[in-house]
Amino acid sequence: MATFKEVLAASGDIKTTRSVLNQLVDVIQEDISGSATRKSYQSFVTGGIGPGVTSSLYQTVFDQDFTLQTANPLFDMTIGLFEGGDTVASSSLGLDTNGKRLFPSQSLMMREKIDIYRQYAANLLGDADASFVSPFGSALDTDRVDNAAFISFKRLFTRDKLKRETFALKMYQSASIAGQGPTTLEGQNLKTTASGSASIFTDFGSSTNRRRTFGGEVGDLVDSANSAKKVGLVFYDAGTVVLNLGGRGVTTDDRTRAVVADQIMSGAIHGMIGTVPSTNTDLPLGRQIMGYPGQVAGLSKAKFIPDFITSGSIDDVVNHLAMTRFSSGSLTATTFQNNTNINSTLIFCRATADEFNYSSNPTYTDTANRIRVIEQGQEDVQRAFTYITTVGLYDINDNLLAVAKLSRPIEKNDEKDLTVRVRLDF
Amino acid sequence: MGFLDNSTNNIIVDAVLTDYGRELLARNDGSFSIVKFAFGDDEVDYSLIEKFGRTVGKQKIELNTPVFEAQTNQNFALKNKLVSISNPTLFKLPSVTYSSSGLSGTTLSFKRTGANASQMIAFEQVIADESSIDPELRDPSFIVKLPYRFLEMSDGSTPDSIDSEEIASYFVMKDSNQTSAGGSQLSLKIKTRSISDSVFTFYGDADNKNRISTTFSVTGLNSGVVTELSATIEK
Repeated sequence: MATFKEVLAASGDIKTTRSVLNQLVDVIQEDISGSATRKSYQSFVTGGIGPGVTSSLYQTVFDQDFTLQTANPLFDMTIGLFEGGDTVASSSLGLDTNGKRLFPSQSLMMREKIDIYRQYAANLLGDADASFVSPFGSALDTDRVDNAAFISFKRLFTRDKLKRETFALKMYQSASIAGQGPTTLEGQNLKTTASGSASIFTDFGSSTNRRRTFGGEVGDLVDSANSAKKVGLVFYDAGTVVLNLGGRGVTTDDRTRAVVADQIMSGAIHGMIGTVPSTNTDLPLGRQIMGYPGQVAGLSKAKFIPDFITSGSIDDVVNHLAMTRFSSGSLTATTFQNNTNINSTLIFCRATADEFNYSSNPTYTDTANRIRVIEQGQEDVQRAFTYITTVGLYDINDNLLAVAKLSRPIEKNDEKDLTVRVRLDF
Repeated sequence: MGFLDNSTNNIIVDAVLTDYGRELLARNDGSFSIVKFAFGDDEVDYSLIEKFGRTVGKQKIELNTPVFEAQTNQNFALKNKLVSISNPTLFKLPSVTYSSSGLSGTTLSFKRTGANASQMIAFEQVIADESSIDPELRDPSFIVKLPYRFLEMSDGSTPDSIDSEEIASYFVMKDSNQTSAGGSQLSLKIKTRSISDSVFTFYGDADNKNRISTTFSVTGLNSGVVTELSATIEK
C-alpha cells in the first residue's frame, strides 16, 4: 500500500540491542532518622506480663511521610543474629525437645533475630545455616558476622542491580554517649543523635575484585579512611547491604565492625515488665532501662553487643541505628547508582528518494486539490515534498503498535533518502 | 501532551508503545509483531508554503513547528500519513466528498429508533479540473471506524476489530461504480445500536441528555485520506 512500507528483519531493518542505564540514588539523613519517614509494623506481639511488647520484624524507610500516597519506599532495615555465633551461644539456654532454642526472659525476639539472619543467609549465601563473613570468603573465625544489620533497598531504586563501586554509607560507629546514662530518659544514647566524626563505608575496590555467590555478585564494604577495615558486604544483585555489627571477640577487637560493639548503651528498651520501678517512676510500664547502674541490676553496664542486641526488640535496635547513627540533617546518608538493563529493538524505517513525497494531510492541498508546496506556474520544475513528524509502527492488520515522534519536522523530497532509527525499549 | 524539546540541533526520537501495542505484549502469544511502518505529519501546516513561499515557508515549518509528544492512543497517534506515489510529477491530489440526507454540515443525525435510526452516506474521491485520478491514489477499500457503543454497519457485518475504547474498525470494499475520473465511491449505511436510557444518561451531552454526540471516520487505504465526521443520536 502506498501509505505503508514493510520492515524486514532479514534485510536488517530490525535489530535488538541491550544497554544499561545508571541512576544515582541519594538517601538523605532525615529520611532514615525521622519517625514520619520510617514505617514500623506490629508483626511481633507478646502477651503475659505487663502491656507486652510489640515490634516489627523490619522497618521501611520512605523518601517522605509514609502516610502520603506519593511516598516511595527506599529500603527495609532489620537485624539478625547468627545461630551459631557467640551472641546466641552466650545467651541461649539450649534447645527443647523439639529443637527450639530457648532464651532467658531478659532477652527479646531472639528466635526472630535468628530467623531473619537465616533467611538472609539462605537467600544470599545459599545455606540458612551459613554465616556471613567480612571480608567475603574469609576463613578466619574472627571475620564471622555474628550480629548483622541488613539494609535491603527496594527494587524501585535498585532496579536490576546496584552498580559496583558506587555505594557509600555515612554513619557514626559510636553512639553519642560513650559512658553510662543519665538519670532521666532524655539524653540517653539510645535516642540521641550521634555526634563527632562519622565514618564513610564504601565498596571501594569491588569492581576490580569481582566475586559471585549464590545470592549474586558480592563486594566488601570497607571504611573509606582505611580500606583494610572491612565492615560488611554488599550484595549487588539482591540490593542488600550487610553491616557487621559485631563478630567473634567483640569486646577486644572492633577492627571489622560497623559499630563500636562494646560501647555502653543507655536508655529505655521494651520488655515484659509488670511494674514501674520505684527508682524511676517516669519510665512507662513495659519498659526496661539499661545503662544506669543505680536502677536495674544486670543491665547497668549494658554493651551494644551482646546486651542491647539481645535484650532489645528489633524495633529498639533498628530505631537506635536509624535515629542516631545517620544524623538527622539534609545531607546524604547513603548513595549508590543502580543498573537498569534496557533491551531495545531498533527499527530502521527507510524511505527511498521516491517514497513518502506526498501527504494526506488536509492542509497539503487547497480547495482546488492543488498541492500547496508546488507554486502555481512552477508545476513543471517543482516537485512535491513533505515533512515527517511521526513514525507509526504497525502489525499485519494495520494496528498501530508503537509511535515515534521526531523533535522537529524533517523534510522528505525526491532527492533525499531518509532512515529514521526508532528504538523501542523494554 | 507536551511538546518535544527542539532547542538542540540533535533530532530526538520519542517512541512509545500504544495501548494496543501493550495489550498485545501482555497477551504473550507472539501477536506483538511490527511488520510495517508509516510516516505522518499531523503537526505540519502546508498552507505556510503557500502563504510565505517555498523558502520562508519551509523555514517556518522546520523551525516554528513544535512537535507534540507521542500519544499512546492508537486512534489519535497518527492521523495523516505520508503517501508514496511512483509518479513524481503530480501537482494535484484527490479529496473525498460526502453526501447524505441526514447530513447537516459535517454532522450526521440519527434517531435511536424509527426511520432515522439508520442513515446512508456516500463518499467519493474527486479531483478538481482533472479528467483522471492517478490509479495509485484510487482507494480499493476503506477503513471505517465507528463508536461501537452507539453505531454499527447496517448490514450487520461483524467489525474486524474493536479496541479497548469500543471503537469498531470495518474493512469495507469500495462500490463497484466509480466516478468519471476513476475515483472510488463508497456507500455506507450506518445504524444506531440498541442504546438504553442509562447510556444516554452516561454519555449524553451535558446540556441535553437526550442526545449523544460522537465522531466516526473513513480512511482511504491507498490515498490515506481521513474523513472525520460528527454524529448525533437523539433519544
